Amino acid sequence: MAPKPVTSPIPIHLYPMLSALLLVVGLLVTAFFFIYEATTSTRNRCLAKELVTAAVASVFLGFGSLFLLLATGVYV
Amino acid sequence: MGRRTRSAAAMAIVPLLLLSFFHLLQFVSSTQEIRVLSAEKRIDLTSPIARVFLTLKVENYGAPEVPEILIAFSPTESEHLAILKASTVEGKRKKKTYVPLSVSPVSSPDAPNGAQLYSVTLRSPLQSGETTTVEALYVLTHSLEPFPTEISQSEPQLVYYRDSATILSPYTIVEQTVYIKTPSSKVESYTKVEPTARSGSETRYGPYHDRLPYSFSPVIVHFENNNPFAVVEELVREIEISHWGNLQIRDHYRLKHAGARHKGVFSRTIAALGYFYWVYDTYAKHPCRLDYQFRQSLSASFKTLLAMLPPRVHSVYYRDDIGNISSSHLRINSQKSELEIEPRYPLFGGWKATFTIGYGLPLQDFLFESSDGRRYLNFSFGCPLIETVVDDLTVKVILPEGSRNPTAAVPFPVNQHLEMTYSYLDVVGRTTLVLQKRNVVPEHNYPFQVYYDFNPIFMLAEPLMLVSSVFLFFVAYIAYVHIDLSIRRPLKTNS
Repeated sequence: MAPKPVTSPIPIHLYPMLSALLLVVGLLVTAFFFIYEATTSTRNRCLAKELVTAAVASVFLGFGSLFLLLATGVYV
Repeated sequence: MGRRTRSAAAMAIVPLLLLSFFHLLQFVSSTQEIRVLSAEKRIDLTSPIARVFLTLKVENYGAPEVPEILIAFSPTESEHLAILKASTVEGKRKKKTYVPLSVSPVSSPDAPNGAQLYSVTLRSPLQSGETTTVEALYVLTHSLEPFPTEISQSEPQLVYYRDSATILSPYTIVEQTVYIKTPSSKVESYTKVEPTARSGSETRYGPYHDRLPYSFSPVIVHFENNNPFAVVEELVREIEISHWGNLQIRDHYRLKHAGARHKGVFSRTIAALGYFYWVYDTYAKHPCRLDYQFRQSLSASFKTLLAMLPPRVHSVYYRDDIGNISSSHLRINSQKSELEIEPRYPLFGGWKATFTIGYGLPLQDFLFESSDGRRYLNFSFGCPLIETVVDDLTVKVILPEGSRNPTAAVPFPVNQHLEMTYSYLDVVGRTTLVLQKRNVVPEHNYPFQVYYDFNPIFMLAEPLMLVSSVFLFFVAYIAYVHIDLSIRRPLKTNS
């Protein structure tokens, strides 16, 4: 059996686009989070909704910044 | 009474003597029933590294079966010996193929004057009456001694080479010749051991007939060698594997010009003149009509160094402690990449330079998965600079975080140990396999493998770390909004 080359899970040339996309989505969700925090009163706020929005935003921002690092040549 | 004890002692000694005599006889017979019918030794001194090609035609005339033959080296040679390769020729004429043979050092307390023996295991044992041809290549480092030891900037560099006119061997050699090839025909002096002949850049010792085992007749050749003696005193190579698709290489060099030491002041004019002639010689087709001797002598300093890098190299940098060095050229094609670098200043005898070369490589060219599920790195050992001796080579293979059980497969003996390296977004650190070898020559540029276990789930450690840090920020904000830190009494609304 010939040795199988190990490749990156996602093709390298997609990193810059992926990073931009994930960061844009992440920032939009973050914006939604802060708008929600600022516009709803203390009594009307739903903790679950806040946490879910925060989780979604952080997943997008986290992966976005990872691909930003990879795209700029900082291979973690 | 006294006489009886003495005779008893004598009786005890006789069998001992006999035994040792038989031992001696056995040793002698095992080497004496083999003889070398013809031997040829070609010493190539055209570069700073001495390469010796040895061809032996060995005959077994009496011993029942000889599985291996011995090659002898003098103590100084064995100290400078970097690599010894042996092969045998199979087939005739056009269908000649070279089959490599395994070589191993032999402890040899019986060999005279501390000669070091290496045994070459033959493919099939040599039967009585048979002959075989063995070819050996060995490389000696630091065996050209500059004399005079100090030269000025425009003087030629002369070196001594010491060897023996006869081939050192544990066997009787029926006919032998030694050829010494020098870079030019400028040979100051050479020892004459008749018959000795010199034509052009080649000096011939021999043919000599029926020399006894371990016969040695020292010779010295004093000749001009204007090659820059590039010696990397210390090279630390860091190979960092990232499963996200990159192999990052960082080579830290401490380079020295190990030729004749530079004497007197350093003149930029002469250095520039030397560079001009070098460019002229390289790019103009017809020779420059200037004093050849003067021109040649200017070339004992480094102009450029050529590093052979793998193909598809990217993000190459060349810098030292104070920043980027702008004088480098990179040529890339599908087979290889050539990086031509120029040190910050011309390097003369005894001068040193430290610098770092770094580059990235695509992961799929070097990292593979074996059939048992282990991953392995397949990379070239040795120094990428051409025609360079490395005194002390350290290869650090930095594996990704979470890899376990690293094992190395290197085709020659190396020292190895494990350590931890911390890099970007690391928590537990990266397991690093360190391989160390002394006296490395270009012949060591041979692939080696590092096997390790890796679970791809560990690739998610870094993104999850980033995700959790962003999430912590959000949670902190939510907590800040929800906790009322004011000390005044809450206002009652709609009362």
